[in-house]
Amino acid sequence: MEVEIGPAVSARALSKRFGDRVAVDGIDFDVEPGICFGFLGPNGAGKTTTMKTIYGLATVDRGQLTVLGLEAARDRREIKSRIGVVPQETNLDGDLTVRENLMQQALYFGIDSGKAAERAAELLEFSLLSDRADERIHGLSGGMKRRLLISRALMGDPELVVLDEPTTGLDPQARLAVWGALDRLRRRGVTLLLTTHYMEEAERLCDRLVIMDEGRIVADGRPADLVRGHVGREVLELRLDEGCDAERLVGSLDGRIQGHDLSERTLMLYADNAEALLEGLDHDAFPTESAVVRRATLEDVFLRLTGRSLRE
Amino acid sequence: MSEYVPVPRLAGAVWLRNARVFSKLWRGALLPTFLDPFLYLLALGFGLGTYVAHINGIPYKEFIAPGLIASAAMWSSAFETTYNVYFRMNELRLYDNVLSTPVEVQDLVAGDLAWSATRATIYGIVVLAVIAIFGLVSSWWALLIPFFVVLGGICFSVIGYTFTALIPKIDLYSYFFTLGITPMFLFSGLFFPFSQLPDWVHVVAWFMPLYHLVEITRGLATDPAFWSVAGSALWLAVVSAVLFTVPVRALRRKLVA
Repeated sequence: MEVEIGPAVSARALSKRFGDRVAVDGIDFDVEPGICFGFLGPNGAGKTTTMKTIYGLATVDRGQLTVLGLEAARDRREIKSRIGVVPQETNLDGDLTVRENLMQQALYFGIDSGKAAERAAELLEFSLLSDRADERIHGLSGGMKRRLLISRALMGDPELVVLDEPTTGLDPQARLAVWGALDRLRRRGVTLLLTTHYMEEAERLCDRLVIMDEGRIVADGRPADLVRGHVGREVLELRLDEGCDAERLVGSLDGRIQGHDLSERTLMLYADNAEALLEGLDHDAFPTESAVVRRATLEDVFLRLTGRSLRE
Repeated sequence: MSEYVPVPRLAGAVWLRNARVFSKLWRGALLPTFLDPFLYLLALGFGLGTYVAHINGIPYKEFIAPGLIASAAMWSSAFETTYNVYFRMNELRLYDNVLSTPVEVQDLVAGDLAWSATRATIYGIVVLAVIAIFGLVSSWWALLIPFFVVLGGICFSVIGYTFTALIPKIDLYSYFFTLGITPMFLFSGLFFPFSQLPDWVHVVAWFMPLYHLVEITRGLATDPAFWSVAGSALWLAVVSAVLFTVPVRALRRKLVA
C-alpha cells in the first residue's frame, strides 16, 4: 500500500546570514522522498550553508525549514538521528582504524555494540573496504576515504543522506565507485541530497535539481527539462576570427537561435538544430577559425545562469 | 535550560573515543608523568629541602610531594583541553562530524571534560604512587585523593576548554600558560605556605583552583582537617558547575553558527 507522505525536506523563504554577508537569501524548495536532489552553483552560492541548516551545523535565521516532517529550528537532535551526513572535508578520525571509525559513529547514534558490529561489517562490504577494516586512515586513498565517509554516514540507518560535494578531488575510477554506491542507496529508497559543481555528475545522478547563485535559486527542475528550457537541444560553438563582428552575426540569426553567449572570441549559439544553423551561416561575412556542433548540457545552463566570470 | 544538560550516554560516547585513542598511545604519554614529580622532588625536595628542613612541622619533601599530585592533574587538564581539543576541533574537524550526529554541543563538552578529568586522575594516581614509594605519604586518607583529583580535573578542564572555545588562533595558548597556568603552579601554596605572607596573598590564592586541590591532597596525605577538605571540594564543585555553561555557549557559537 502506498502511503501519502510529505516532502523529505521543505524550505520556505529560508535565509541565513553571517554578519553582513547574506549566504542564503530566501530560498524555497521541496525534496520528494526517495529521489536524488541536487544543489548546483558556483563557490559561495550558498549550497554548503543550505546543507548545514539541514543537518544542524547552522541555525535558520528567517523562513521555515522542515526535515522529515520535523522543524529544523526546534527538533535538531531528532532530525540528526534520522539523517546521515557526508561532509565536504574529509574529517575521519585518524587515530582510529577504518572499522573503529564506524563503531565510534554507532556510539554517537546510541546503537548497541552487537548491532553496530554487524552494521559496520555490512557497510565495509558495501564500500568495498572489508580488507582494509583494521588499517589506519592515513593509508587509504582519496576514493577509499570518501567511500568510508559515505559508510560512516549510513551507520545510523538514515532516511535521508546529505552529501556535500561527494566526488570533488577524486579520479574518474573513484568517482564511478562513489556514483555506484549512491545508485545502490537510492534503489533502497534513501533520499539523497547532494551539492556538486560537476555537471555530468548532476545530470547522471539527480532526478531534480536547483541551481543556486549568490544565495538565491535561479533555476529549478529536472536536468533534461532545464537544458531544453534554457538552451535548447544543441549548441553551435564558434571560434571567431579577429575580423568577425559577433554582434552582427548574432543579429543576422534573429529568430533561429534560443540564445547566445560570448566569452572572449568563443561564441555559443543555442538552438534545436545546430547543424542546420551552421550550414546556413554566411562564412564570408563571418569568418571563423573553427565550428563545433554538440549536444547542449547542463554545463551550458549553468554558465548561462551564473555567468562566466570567476567566482572566488 | 535543556540545551545545557548533557545526555549521559552521548557524553559517554565522546569520552569513549578519547579513552580509546589514549589506550593506544598511553605508553609514550605516561612516562614523562613518572619523571616529572621525580625531578621536582629531586631539585626541590632533596636540593632546596637541605636548606629548608621543615614547613609547619612537616619535612619539606613531604610538604611539597602531595601538591605535585594536584599540579600533575592541572598540567594534564591544561594540555588536554587546550592543544588536544584544539587539534580535534580545528585541525581534524572531528567535531563537525560529531555534531552532525544526535550528539549536541553540551554532550560533546561534557564528554571531553569527563575524559580530561579521567586523564588528570590517571596522572594524579601515578604521582601518588611515586611519592608513596618514596615514603612521602603518611596517612591512609591518601587513598581518597583520586576522587578529589577527578573534581579538580573537571575544574581545570572547564577553564582550559573555555579558553579553547574562545580563541581564534593556536598562538594564544602561550598567554594561557604564561599568565594562567604557570603563575597558578608557582603561587598556589604548593612550594611555600602563606602563613607568613600578607593576607591579600591568601585572598588571591583562594580564587585559584590549584590552591584548593593542593589543600585537599596535602591534607589527605598528611593530617586531614575535615572542614578544610570539604570546603575546598565544595569550591571546586561549585566553580565547575557554574562555569560549565560558558564553554558550551562559546562552542555553540563557534561550531553551530
